[in-house]
Amino acid sequence: MTSVLAPVDGAAVGLGAVPDPVFSAGMVGPGTAIDPARAPGNAVAPIDGKIMKLHPHAYVIVGDDGKGVLVHLGIDTVQLKGEGFRLLATEGDRVSAGQPVVAWDPAVIEAGGRSPVCPVVALDARAESVTEVAHGPVHVGDELFRWA
Amino acid sequence: MAERKVTVEAEVGLHARPAATFVQAAAKADIDVTVARQGGQPVNAKSILMVMGLDVRQGETIVIRAEGDGAEELLDELAAIASAP
Repeated sequence: MTSVLAPVDGAAVGLGAVPDPVFSAGMVGPGTAIDPARAPGNAVAPIDGKIMKLHPHAYVIVGDDGKGVLVHLGIDTVQLKGEGFRLLATEGDRVSAGQPVVAWDPAVIEAGGRSPVCPVVALDARAESVTEVAHGPVHVGDELFRWA
Repeated sequence: MAERKVTVEAEVGLHARPAATFVQAAAKADIDVTVARQGGQPVNAKSILMVMGLDVRQGETIVIRAEGDGAEELLDELAAIASAP
């Protein structure tokens, strides 16, 4: 069982609230989303593991059991080409859950006309293997969902 | 073993919507299907984790391979998804 932690402060709103059907329809996988606090902060690793992919706007951490969790910082933020994001870790690094990975400011993303909502997705997971734990206000590092 | 070589045309590369659509189409097939960068190690095309990990960018060429019943049709479908702008 993997306990997936909140990568950012905010409110857990569920994937259905993500304004992108790729996420809201569960096409990428099950999980939830956080409407982040509009303040500068660090997005952290949701699980212990290795940073398999690190983009400024998104990252994937893979645990020792092979389970991968995607954190996507805002919607359509790939278009920013890294502007407004600062990497605090390197692809391939081993990280502990709660360790900072990317510094960003959701308020700046929103001011640029994009949603700062952060999908947190269990990759290659069956929907029934994920149990939502948090709904509503969450602090970074709080348990967000469990992945059996 | 049937294969298709296609150039990824989507601006985001084989990520986000193109990746999710690609993997969903691959996953509904009963046969094994792999995707690789040209000259690279093939990975399971039914795994969103593996496909994201390939990190294919716009303009890069991938090789999709499958064998068995319906391989040609499946590869045509996957090639169309991967090459869609």
